[in-house]
Amino acid sequence: MSGRTRRSWVVRSLGLLAVIGAALWLTTTLRAGSAVAGAGTAYSPSRAGDTNLGQHVFLRDCAWCHGIQAQGTSRGPDLRSAGPAYVDFMLKTGRMPLLEPDATTEPHTQKYDAATIAALVQYVGEQLGSGEPLPQLSAGDITSGRTVFLASCAACHSSSGTGTILQDGTRVPQLYDTPSEQIAEAVRVGPGEMPPFGAKTLDDQELNDVVSYVQQLGPQQVEGGHPLDQYGPIAESLLAFLIPLPLLVIIILLLGRRAPRKESEE
Amino acid sequence: MRARRANRVLRLADERLGYASVARKTMAKIFPDHWSFMLGEIALYSFMFLVATGIYLVLFFDPSSHLTTYDGSYAPMHGKEVSSAYASTVSISFDVRAGLLVRQAHHWAAHIFVGAIVLHLCRIFFTGMFRKPRELNWTVGVTLLILAIFNGFAGYSLPDDLLSGTGLHIFFSIAEGTPFIGDWLAFLVFGGNFPGDVIIERLYALHILIVPALIAILITVHMAVLIRQKHSHFSGPGRSDANVVGSRMWPSYAIRSLSLMFFVSAVCVLLGGFAQINPIWVWGDFSSPQITAPSVADWYVGWIEGALRLFPPMEPHLLGFTIPNQFWAGVLLPLVTFAALYLWPWIDRRLTHDYGTHHLTGRPRESPGRVAIGVAALTFYGVCLVAMSEETLVQWTHAPVADIRNTLRVVVIVLPFVTGFIAHRIARALRDSGAGGLLLLSKADWRRAREVRRAGKAPPIPPSEPPTEEESPEAPAPGEPLDEEGRPLTESPAWVHPGGRIPE
Amino acid sequence: MSRAPAPRPVVLCFGLGTLCAMGFAAAYVLDLSTPVLGAVLGGSLTLIALALAVWSHRIDQEEPDYVEERAIGPTSSEQFEHFRQALTESPVPRSGFLWGMFGLSVTTLGAALLFPLRSLLPSMSEVPDEVLSESAFSQGRRLMTEELQPVKPDDLEVGGYLTVFPDGSDPRQDVGATLLIRVSPDQLQLPADRTNWAVDGVVAYSKLCTHAGCPVGLYADQPAQLLCPCHHSVFNVLDGAKPMQGPASHPLPQLPLALDGDGNLVANGPFSGPVGAAWWGYRA
Repeated sequence: MSGRTRRSWVVRSLGLLAVIGAALWLTTTLRAGSAVAGAGTAYSPSRAGDTNLGQHVFLRDCAWCHGIQAQGTSRGPDLRSAGPAYVDFMLKTGRMPLLEPDATTEPHTQKYDAATIAALVQYVGEQLGSGEPLPQLSAGDITSGRTVFLASCAACHSSSGTGTILQDGTRVPQLYDTPSEQIAEAVRVGPGEMPPFGAKTLDDQELNDVVSYVQQLGPQQVEGGHPLDQYGPIAESLLAFLIPLPLLVIIILLLGRRAPRKESEE
Repeated sequence: MRARRANRVLRLADERLGYASVARKTMAKIFPDHWSFMLGEIALYSFMFLVATGIYLVLFFDPSSHLTTYDGSYAPMHGKEVSSAYASTVSISFDVRAGLLVRQAHHWAAHIFVGAIVLHLCRIFFTGMFRKPRELNWTVGVTLLILAIFNGFAGYSLPDDLLSGTGLHIFFSIAEGTPFIGDWLAFLVFGGNFPGDVIIERLYALHILIVPALIAILITVHMAVLIRQKHSHFSGPGRSDANVVGSRMWPSYAIRSLSLMFFVSAVCVLLGGFAQINPIWVWGDFSSPQITAPSVADWYVGWIEGALRLFPPMEPHLLGFTIPNQFWAGVLLPLVTFAALYLWPWIDRRLTHDYGTHHLTGRPRESPGRVAIGVAALTFYGVCLVAMSEETLVQWTHAPVADIRNTLRVVVIVLPFVTGFIAHRIARALRDSGAGGLLLLSKADWRRAREVRRAGKAPPIPPSEPPTEEESPEAPAPGEPLDEEGRPLTESPAWVHPGGRIPE
Repeated sequence: MSRAPAPRPVVLCFGLGTLCAMGFAAAYVLDLSTPVLGAVLGGSLTLIALALAVWSHRIDQEEPDYVEERAIGPTSSEQFEHFRQALTESPVPRSGFLWGMFGLSVTTLGAALLFPLRSLLPSMSEVPDEVLSESAFSQGRRLMTEELQPVKPDDLEVGGYLTVFPDGSDPRQDVGATLLIRVSPDQLQLPADRTNWAVDGVVAYSKLCTHAGCPVGLYADQPAQLLCPCHHSVFNVLDGAKPMQGPASHPLPQLPLALDGDGNLVANGPFSGPVGAAWWGYRA
């Protein structure tokens, strides 16, 4: 009897530890579905693209919706004022091309190789139209970048860059792992519902700064254990309900019960 | 040898204080053996943990709104002008060795503290142990809950970061929503229009001194009343309103409780080490026009936040006054909540016509109506917390915020009735069938319960009848019924097994 | 109680707990990361807790259930009568008048001691209602960025937005924080009396939500709507920031805009109403 009790105590204690471990592991894996602005593919600069290739791919894949002169149709917008930055952003983040004409533009894996994208950027962005050029990035100052980010970006992307929601139910993307160029392009052109930040509200140096700071976001900001998606009190409160309180209730369930008196042995 | 030395110390102290007989009685204090009686202890120990870690944090925290140039090791803030409160909290997190562990453990302990108080309150509520003679201790407990919530909010606001600064702005607006004196109240608390430059200093005084002192005093009162009235206990063989059956404080319960103290500290420390909480360096320093998203508070004030989100837009002008929208969810709801909690023992008495004295802990099923009200209330606040987490719902369902909000507006009203009704039926079935527990409730039990009700028979488990005053046993002096062994001195303890165990 | 040999699991747990405690000291000296510190310290506490739990379990096995009489109950009516008499039969004359005077003086004292609470609001001339109703902008006051630069309409892209402040204020503290948003002018549907409040499609609204005062920072360009991250109120930028969804019940105050001689944006009057949340004395 006593031997069994002792063993069951050890088992229970191990069980408790296992619960803690499992719960922590679960939180690591059960991260809320996180859309990522960039698809995380390695960035390769889209410079000096092949115009013939660009025209070929454009007529084959894009002209259906955007028109042969990129003038726009009822299925897709006019791209003549889009500019290289916009085209590059949409293609690199896999928002374009759409697989179905009526699909929504959401970040996806990149669908063309770097050379094709470069060619399309040149053909659509520079030959058929004009607009915001590809950003020329250089080193930035993260302290200044942090100030800019908190003032201009945090309200939508969260101070942590984890992203949040818009009133229509779409997701403001998470910024971790997004290549610098795409961040810069998004800032300048304001894709989708994002407002654009022109050179007069955010000069090139500030753009470099904020892009540098964004590269610091995510895992690098984690100092004290599991990041909980850097989502703030919602995640923290949920965790408080899921782990410590149930755990302590289990502990008192075990502690609060009287051990049966050891008399049967005597 | 060692025993003799210890003996001498005890004797020396007794020669001066004469404590032995009091200590003897204290050691024989009886604690009932049921897990639910330890919920309050979790709160007590997490409070002690909060005080211990809080003392450490106080040594490094600089509660000042004055600007200073940050020069610590967190690179993205080098050379930035921030408030001393913020700079010192970042320093605690990055430059004070083990500082982040203590800070995070302190924050997690706050969650556990308030959470344990709420669970303890639920235990008292559902078992009816707020009834006479414990109404006073119930009100002390409700006051402790309010103080714990307030101190959690105050502590959360101290680092002067962007997230908590937004919380303070909401707090300011809610204060403005107080009828008639709102604008004055908000200005007096903040020393002027928001944000002012004194609120951190004022919250600091409240957070580290005034509120903890009040909590400590009220815990003492709570304990003193408990010791005077003695624990309630679940009914069972040999258990009555006139006694307490359980374990002695020494040697058994004290060590069990000490174990719980270490477990509570362990859980706080482990979470502090493994789960990052409130990374204020990420949220950024407070600046009035800036905001991060999602901007919500910890759950113990988050239910107000959720209610603020759900309350429909309306701002009527009446007799020259505007009734601000945030008044309803921000001012009225907390007032009604805590007023209902304070008055519950007297409301319950009116509803049940139960004016007797109770020392036997009721099982929740004994009062299905009370179970229904309790479950409905918990559902309401639960849905408010879901509204606080609206972002997560939107992210999972991709539904527009308006749809989620409108759904929750309906759910928050309807669901409490549904869950309350279900809880009532389950409690009634448990009571009338005499089933062992919620999970043991079988179809046959439901049928039996129905038959019992149809036959109009008295329920098998009668609500404990309080002894009338004439019947109540002559009150012996404290400690008297114990013999040298600490065993009850009852002449013929018919129901106490010679071994001390109560026969089944 | 008989001296039983120390139970091995308890000894083991205490021993491991001691080791973990030493591990914490070592981890501190080695400046290891927060999770490591938490693991060893938490491990030590867990092991000590486990040891105590098993120990108390062993003690419980030796312990019977104890019963204690509940010594509390109402005092006998005779004793209570003694107490009542002792309380009221004092040598002091039982004068209701004196007790009344005592009550009056103490109540007045308490009320008088409330007056110093007024000092919590340092400025003795400040009347909250007036401060809250006051506009941070007046005719001709320039709108400045956080870097204290004046703003021209063309500084903003169509669809872009910018947070600005009244000239000469502290951006970190000010309740005059204002959102400049540029939309294409033909989209604007401002109320009839505000048609000249926009300059080249640039409109200006207070940044503080009219529900609970949070900065309404989340601007979605395509529907031209502002979303408050706190309680999800939505405001329509095109028609005078009227609330569309959520708890907010009145529009964001709008600031009439004009250009000064240098082509910089200036206020062409005060905000259309008090900024931030309403209070009981609020007048739209």
